[in-house]
Amino acid sequence: MLIIILRRLGQSILVLFLVALISFLIFRFVGNPVDNLMGQEATLLQRAALEEALGLNDPLYKQYFNFVWRAIHFDFGNSYRGALPVAELIASRLPATLELALTSAIFALVFGVITGIYTAIKRGGFIANLILSTSLIGVSLPTFLIGVLLIWLFAVELRWLPSFGRGEVVTLGWWTTGFLTISGLKSLILPSITLGLYQLTLIMRLTRSEMLEVLRQDYVRFAKALGLSNKQVHFNHALPNTLVPVITIAGLQLGSIVAFAIITESVFQWPGVGLLFINAVYFVDIPVMSAYLLLVGVLFVFINLLVDLLYLAIDPRLRDSQLNGER
Amino acid sequence: MSENLLQIKNISVTFKTRHGVLKAIDDLSLNVKKGEILGLVGESGAGKSMTGAAVLGLIDPPGRLSSGQIWYKGQRIDQAPETIRGHEISMIFQDPLVSLNPLRRIGDQLVETILTHMPITKAEAVDRARKGLEEVGIDPERINAYPHTFSGGMRQRVVIALALAPEPALIIADEPTTALDVSVQAQILDLLKQLCRERGTSIILVTHDMGVIAETTDRVGVLYAGRLAEIGETRDVLTNPKHPYTKGLVASTPRIDASSFDKTLYQISGSMPKLDAMPNGCAFHPRCEFALDKCRIDRPSIIADRAACWLLDGEETLL
Amino acid sequence: MMNRFLDSDFFHDFLRAPVALISFCVVLILVLSAVFAQFIAPTNPFDPASLELMNGFTPPLEANMFTGEIFLLGTDDQGRDLFSAILYGLRISLFVGLMAVTLAMVLGVMLGLIAGYVGGWLDNLIMRLADIQMTFPSILIAMLIFGIARGLLPPELRYEMAITVLIISIGLSEWVPFARTVRGSTMVEKEKEYVAAARLIGLNRWQIMIRHILPNVLGPVLVIATITFALAIIAEATLSFLGVGAPPTEPSLGTLIRVGQDYLFSGEWWILLFPAVTLLALALAVNLLGDWLRDTLNPRLK
Repeated sequence: MLIIILRRLGQSILVLFLVALISFLIFRFVGNPVDNLMGQEATLLQRAALEEALGLNDPLYKQYFNFVWRAIHFDFGNSYRGALPVAELIASRLPATLELALTSAIFALVFGVITGIYTAIKRGGFIANLILSTSLIGVSLPTFLIGVLLIWLFAVELRWLPSFGRGEVVTLGWWTTGFLTISGLKSLILPSITLGLYQLTLIMRLTRSEMLEVLRQDYVRFAKALGLSNKQVHFNHALPNTLVPVITIAGLQLGSIVAFAIITESVFQWPGVGLLFINAVYFVDIPVMSAYLLLVGVLFVFINLLVDLLYLAIDPRLRDSQLNGER
Repeated sequence: MSENLLQIKNISVTFKTRHGVLKAIDDLSLNVKKGEILGLVGESGAGKSMTGAAVLGLIDPPGRLSSGQIWYKGQRIDQAPETIRGHEISMIFQDPLVSLNPLRRIGDQLVETILTHMPITKAEAVDRARKGLEEVGIDPERINAYPHTFSGGMRQRVVIALALAPEPALIIADEPTTALDVSVQAQILDLLKQLCRERGTSIILVTHDMGVIAETTDRVGVLYAGRLAEIGETRDVLTNPKHPYTKGLVASTPRIDASSFDKTLYQISGSMPKLDAMPNGCAFHPRCEFALDKCRIDRPSIIADRAACWLLDGEETLL
Repeated sequence: MMNRFLDSDFFHDFLRAPVALISFCVVLILVLSAVFAQFIAPTNPFDPASLELMNGFTPPLEANMFTGEIFLLGTDDQGRDLFSAILYGLRISLFVGLMAVTLAMVLGVMLGLIAGYVGGWLDNLIMRLADIQMTFPSILIAMLIFGIARGLLPPELRYEMAITVLIISIGLSEWVPFARTVRGSTMVEKEKEYVAAARLIGLNRWQIMIRHILPNVLGPVLVIATITFALAIIAEATLSFLGVGAPPTEPSLGTLIRVGQDYLFSGEWWILLFPAVTLLALALAVNLLGDWLRDTLNPRLK
């Protein structure tokens, strides 16, 4: 168990160094730090002095390790626009994105699993077929279009929900939360649905196919033969076995939710890191782009690691085989 | 011993496919007496497992029981088979490696089954579960272990404990030893036989192994292409088979004795017809060396309570 | 050749699947109207001279209150005829999608062939790269590449090169599925006798890969290409909607929807609705067609 965790940890760190390398290359070579700090009118001498001061004349590997070292200390340099430290910018916007991502993930998981189970158990039923065909349209709809259509319906026509921003937020230390105010919660609804809908259909389809697969297994037939009720068979026997792969995939999707948040945040002018990133792309604000990439990389690696551990915790077979070093 | 526990009356199981409706079981009737072990033998695809599944209503769509009736203890059960599952009739599947829920402790599965059928407290159910494990030769201290920590043979013991836990009057054992090591097979069969004899539980033992039939069963039914070819006391059927298919089956079973060395085994030529290419008349006639003209046209029913074969037609008086 | 196709199972299955048939018709109509946009469209929306600001915000099929002109689908904020703008926008969306898929396909097939046929460290390198890229959603990769490309280009070229940059960004973000599939099939094909025979008669690696292995892995590639085409269209629309895709001078469907969103609250719903419906029809039809192709040609991919 320990060995497997250590091995996974090792792989994760390797991936992180790779992401950091890409991040560094973007930082170092795409944007020219000197140009951006000094402007066009600086003399050659001044530029040379700054290059020396920034360590741009050091060997590349040294610059890379400097970059990683500073990144570990949350130093990503200053944004080209407004000259604020990138770390500060990201920290101020991270709570918005994480709250949005978390809400949509829960929304997608809960409704995805419920509809997935329903469509599996009631296979061929009218409502089940309706849900399935609707989901096909859902998959084809681009996320931003879902957002725009929701705004049109619920904000413009019905005027029930706000169409942009986070509403009122409460500050708790360095964190700001929209969970504690009515307007904050109302503002969360449309963006969460927009962001979660695609994952919802994915989780639903996955749950359904896994459940159908599990219902074909002998232990389910055996449980039926032993006279257990349909409810017992479906929920005590089929469901846990269905959820193992579903949780894995859903967990991995959490990372994509954070990345897809870029689109949703842009549609709803949600003040999170995604909006920060897309503006950075537009204005070619290289330090922000490079820091965002690193942030998402860390997040993905962290989530992958967490899902692995969760997997070990759920499945006794895996747990024991890792313990005994079998297989 | 002669009271009928289960009566299967003229059942057919059909599958709707793109190529039309296929009959996996075709007009099959048989009875199971109280306390007896009835063997069902045949090649794979002959419909023996399907018969067991039909009794419990466990045929997966697109298959369905399209005609016939199943009676249990004087009541018709084919319309609501879920009411007799477990506490009246339960089942043991072929592969113990996939019969137990991998994510649940064996004790939980036992207790859940017991509590479903008996109005007792959880503590009493746990007690019963431990006793049940002990009876099948498993250390009751392992009640909290997960299935994957047991070997195949041990798992089949757990499966037997589970099947017996609701105290059924009939167990359908679908190839219960096929997936096990040869050395374990006899142990499991003996255990099953002994436990059922003690309780007076009947068994329908589905197998393709004539040796298992000979050692274990009281009566045997031979299935061919979804139809009953022959049925009777095991000793009679094996020593004096009436249906040419049974004859071939018996002759092609390997024997280990001094006289068998250097002899080649008998083989039945050809293979069982596919469901979508059933011949007219007797399903066996294309492979039968004794086939009469009648066999190609008319399907024989069971003659003289023994075999579905026109050859017996004249002999009826002789039997 | 044509008769053989008309007799084939493939064609018969196609006629028997109404969803596929309708999807195909929708795609065909959209593609044709995009290709012949300059003959169908009443105006050229990219020509600033044709724009009459007075015509702005004209609702569909209503006479403009100043000029009295009538437009089938109304006009946008700048007085652009929406119908023409959609046709030209569709052309850009389809063009970018098609080019991006072609780029992804060529790149993916090449890398897949090399990884599968040559193997060794090259295979390892390519597939690890694919693994890492697959960890991130392709839209994020596309945005990143777009940002990098913009950073590398001098500012005055950014608008001019926008479409090219867009194609490269989307193309580079979608090569992995092609590479994985082709690599798998190549590894199977490589072991077959005809490849050994080709090697014996002295063909070199490239000849074997291109002439012998490639034709045998094209089926799944076609399926992936169709599905990727739908993804590329959506990716293009998304990037343009976010303002980091097609430039305002050459609006694609995504750009039009972006403009439309701004006028939702003031009641000019048509500026949003018509481009959105067009995009939806296109994405849905290509998706359904891709699904059907996948199920029919290659049940294994399901």
